[in-house]
Amino acid sequence: MSEPLLQVRDLDVRYGDAQALWDVAIEVHEGETVCVVGPNGAGKSTLVNAVAGIHPAHRGRISVGGVDVTRLRGHRVCGHGVAIVPEGRRIFPRMTVLDNLVLGAYRKSARRPHRETLAGVYEIFPRLAERAGQLAGSLSGGEQQMVAIGRALMAQPRLLLLDEPSLGLAPVRVDEVYDAIGRINERGVSVVVVEQDVQRALAIAGRAYLLGEGRVVMSGPAAELRDSAEVRRSVLGL
Amino acid sequence: MNVIQATLTGALIGGLYALMAAGLSVTWGVLRIINLAHFGLILIGAYLTFQVATSWHLDPVLTLVVTVPAMFVAGAAIQWLFDRLRLTEFNSLLVSFGLLIITIQVTSNIWSADFRRMSADVNPYATQSVALGRLVFPVTTLVAFGLAALVVLGAHLVLRRTFAGRAMRAIAQDRAVAGAFGVDHRRLSVLLGGVVGATAALAGMVFALSNALTPDTAYEWFGTVFAVVILGGIGEVVGTFAAGILVGVLSGVVSAVWSPAAAPFVLFSAIILALLLRPQGLFAAGGVR
Repeated sequence: MSEPLLQVRDLDVRYGDAQALWDVAIEVHEGETVCVVGPNGAGKSTLVNAVAGIHPAHRGRISVGGVDVTRLRGHRVCGHGVAIVPEGRRIFPRMTVLDNLVLGAYRKSARRPHRETLAGVYEIFPRLAERAGQLAGSLSGGEQQMVAIGRALMAQPRLLLLDEPSLGLAPVRVDEVYDAIGRINERGVSVVVVEQDVQRALAIAGRAYLLGEGRVVMSGPAAELRDSAEVRRSVLGL
Repeated sequence: MNVIQATLTGALIGGLYALMAAGLSVTWGVLRIINLAHFGLILIGAYLTFQVATSWHLDPVLTLVVTVPAMFVAGAAIQWLFDRLRLTEFNSLLVSFGLLIITIQVTSNIWSADFRRMSADVNPYATQSVALGRLVFPVTTLVAFGLAALVVLGAHLVLRRTFAGRAMRAIAQDRAVAGAFGVDHRRLSVLLGGVVGATAALAGMVFALSNALTPDTAYEWFGTVFAVVILGGIGEVVGTFAAGILVGVLSGVVSAVWSPAAAPFVLFSAIILALLLRPQGLFAAGGVR
């Protein structure tokens, strides 16, 4: 198999003295949808934040498209095609929807074609075109999630990281968001979804990783994890 | 008639307040730094205007060719320093106050504590005025207002329309996420510090046009300029402009109908009242923060 788009090896991440991840290794290949599940506090968000350059790695190696990005300063990581939809959306509430989206295209190679990219984002989320001039903070939760995903797409990522995209949304909105994730993946973007809503994430993913207490506990095809007693016990509490 | 004249003159003088306050407000809003050293930069800008105009017999407005680049570098350097020190909002108040005191001391060593004023032969603006019917406007206040309007309009357009401007607003709202989209916080803060320094050069020049300089002047700006920043809404350039005009008008009218000594009393009472009603600032709308 060719070299993976994302390769994380031996990753340790710390917050001060508290260690959040130990020896984590994951891989994402071109075009895949991979999900990372696990209970609260397992280190799922820490993992994607480390990949996106928001939080530094303490040890180990993160490479994107064969390039080592572990020691890059945070703002340089997106230049290698990584974009994140952070937990809790974290849109810029006092900027308009349009300004949020255009900011997503800040990295150099995404700037010039940003109008075309924007048209593509509006195709996926027509509602954002209607709301373009509104302050993003005034939108509903579901619409804010669209802004967060749209903003990430504006960076023209090869790898899209989504951290708890269903959090706090009504079920019908969650359907919309997951429908959009599927379409984004069909356009050739590799996707990593971190979720507490395990059923939903496993349904969309090809492969999955189960995290527990900062370590990879299990990995394999999503269908396999869905049926495993380990997943049922640690995440679903069954 | 007296009141109309006082209102209009006050509004024009408010331009100078806005010019002094704009940089402070944006630095506070975007970088979470309350940069009291900004007053030091304005002071140096004023003295440099005096010095260059006097020594080279240059029109004071033309001294901007020298002072703007110089203050750009100074402002950028200060911001670079703040960035290395990883200042919190509160610490920035202390460190920048220290810088201000040092600046005032250095100024006083170079130019002495005596009043310095550009002589009339190098500074034609001080004595000229424009008459409109029975209303009279000193040219210096027109320059102040015009420059303030230009700076505010420029800053507004840059913040709304450019990638760098959007990035600055994004930094103000969520620095980490802005970084994840490629916004280099350090580089932008140094750039912003430079631009803010350049506005200090403008404000200093305007001040030197119509005032005698003494190093302690910097302290006198505190109250009014902070009032303008808070009233305008932190990080709001257009709000700052409006607040500058309001404060100018209020001071002017109270001085005219009551007494100049009463102006600070009325001004700050009005500000306390305004903030009780609108804690985010009178003119805060959709600014950087």
